[in-house]
Amino acid sequence: MHDASLPAQHTRSQQLYWIYQSVGWGVYTVVRIVGAVTVFGLPWIKVTLELVTLSAVGLGLSHALRHYVQRHHWNALSIPQLTKRIAVAGFILGAPLGIATQLTDVAALQDLAPVLRQYAPGLSIYLSVPIQYVHQIVNWALLYMLWMAIYFTAVGLREYRSARLTQSELVRALQLAELRLLKSQLNPHFLFNALNTVRSLIADNPSRAQSAVTRLANTLRYTLSSRHDELATFAQELDIVTDYLELESMRFEDRLRIEKNVPANAASVHIPVMLLQTLVENAIKHGIAEVPSGGLLRISAVLENQMLKVEIENPRPPAPILAAGEGVGLRNARDRLRLLFGTRATLDLDLSKPTVATARLHVPQQR
Amino acid sequence: MKAMIIDDEPPARRELRRLLADFPWVEIVGEAGNIEQAAGLVESLTPDLLFLDIQMPGGSGFDLLTRLEHVPAVIFTTAHDEHAVRAFEVDALDYLLKPIDPARLAEALTRVKSAHAERTRRPDDVLEQIFVRDGTRCWFVPLREVRLLSSEGNYIRLSWGKTQPLLGRALAALERRLDPNRFFRANRQQIINLDFIENVELGLSGRLHAQLRDGPEVEISRRQARLFKLKMSI
Repeated sequence: MHDASLPAQHTRSQQLYWIYQSVGWGVYTVVRIVGAVTVFGLPWIKVTLELVTLSAVGLGLSHALRHYVQRHHWNALSIPQLTKRIAVAGFILGAPLGIATQLTDVAALQDLAPVLRQYAPGLSIYLSVPIQYVHQIVNWALLYMLWMAIYFTAVGLREYRSARLTQSELVRALQLAELRLLKSQLNPHFLFNALNTVRSLIADNPSRAQSAVTRLANTLRYTLSSRHDELATFAQELDIVTDYLELESMRFEDRLRIEKNVPANAASVHIPVMLLQTLVENAIKHGIAEVPSGGLLRISAVLENQMLKVEIENPRPPAPILAAGEGVGLRNARDRLRLLFGTRATLDLDLSKPTVATARLHVPQQR
Repeated sequence: MKAMIIDDEPPARRELRRLLADFPWVEIVGEAGNIEQAAGLVESLTPDLLFLDIQMPGGSGFDLLTRLEHVPAVIFTTAHDEHAVRAFEVDALDYLLKPIDPARLAEALTRVKSAHAERTRRPDDVLEQIFVRDGTRCWFVPLREVRLLSSEGNYIRLSWGKTQPLLGRALAALERRLDPNRFFRANRQQIINLDFIENVELGLSGRLHAQLRDGPEVEISRRQARLFKLKMSI
């Protein structure tokens, strides 16, 4: 994730990195030059040359270090693991620079020799020289550790911010998906056609209009109260489908004939909520509504070998007009079945006959 | 005004009939439940206005219009077809959402009535407008705005404003229904709208070249050039 996914973001963070690098090393170098010339009175041309060279090498090594930590995904490490690696890397990079520094004039900037002379006057030269080298190395190692601390803080902050953004995007996408689901469950085309039928029935047949309103209310209440991951008994589903079909037959009149053949022992089997409704809606939408003369919608069920087998049959139009989004309902229904029953439940749409489409649903009696 | 109701749901047709009872000047001459039935009735009853449902078995309301030779004024009725309704580019037609609001119906009828009155009385067999569908876009094209009709196999390419929609008919069949005072057969492939001619130049061997406003230059064949000169008395 350290490589930002968007190219624009990527170049921006790349720019920032170089700004920080050059400002950091630049300020460090200038301060050291000024110190060397004013406090230590060293010759400025030589000091400048040496310090700039050292800093350039320092910057180069730090850039190589960045490549290395990116390649090895150090940003994914835990804090203790990262700390250990930072310490080791600091010394590895600090060693050549420390030795080089001790060989130049600018070694005087953090010269340990006077200190050693004062506090350990009897120290042999064989000991005091290595100590001075080690001192320079430690200095550089600390500098690199500081560099890495800043670097990983910046990377961490950036990742935290982008993660928060991704999360809020996810929440938004989820809300949109829920809204779309609700809208499709409400089936606006059916709803407004049903309302139109009711308006017509109020004048034609007031008592039928009253019954239509009750059935519409039942359908809507069931739709709104059902959740995606819930189960309902086959009897419950059949009740709501009956209400729904009653409304549709008021709308289609003699174009819709209904036949139901459901044994009593199927009533208590659990199926995903709204599943039967979805299948029957499809049979109306892609079947009855597309055939000028309408036809027979048959719902039959049997309980066989502890398996509920449901068949929904509807007439097919001669040349089905494939509407956008067709098949989504069926796919969703299959996904839900798989989530709730695994591979034991199946749903198939049989289009082998030219004039009849059959949806077959198999659900185990025990979950 | 003669009107026809085309909707596959009987209650919807009854409801519209009842709503239209408040407008005695609208006479309902027929009803149809699918486009097959509707196509025949529209041609024989020649209504001035169609109330047309969009989603119907065997073909949509749009399909019906592309099949009609003589397209009357249309008010679409639909329960929930946002996409279909949005496909329209023309203000020349109206749509009503079911259940129909009586006030909206009155507005739509007023518009149709004024458009109807504006239209000059013409012999019935002269086409005024045609319905064209090109891909997902639909138009009512007033023929007087079409500058050129070109034959492309069994289709006709209309040059109309900035668009060039394709019409699923043969040029010869349409020619008989065009206003002879406005349209002229320039050559075997093309019919031009005389109102759009900017200038005419003499070409080789008796041919003429007519420059159309906003449109191409069209060659008038030698045989037709003679007729053209007679007609324009040049």
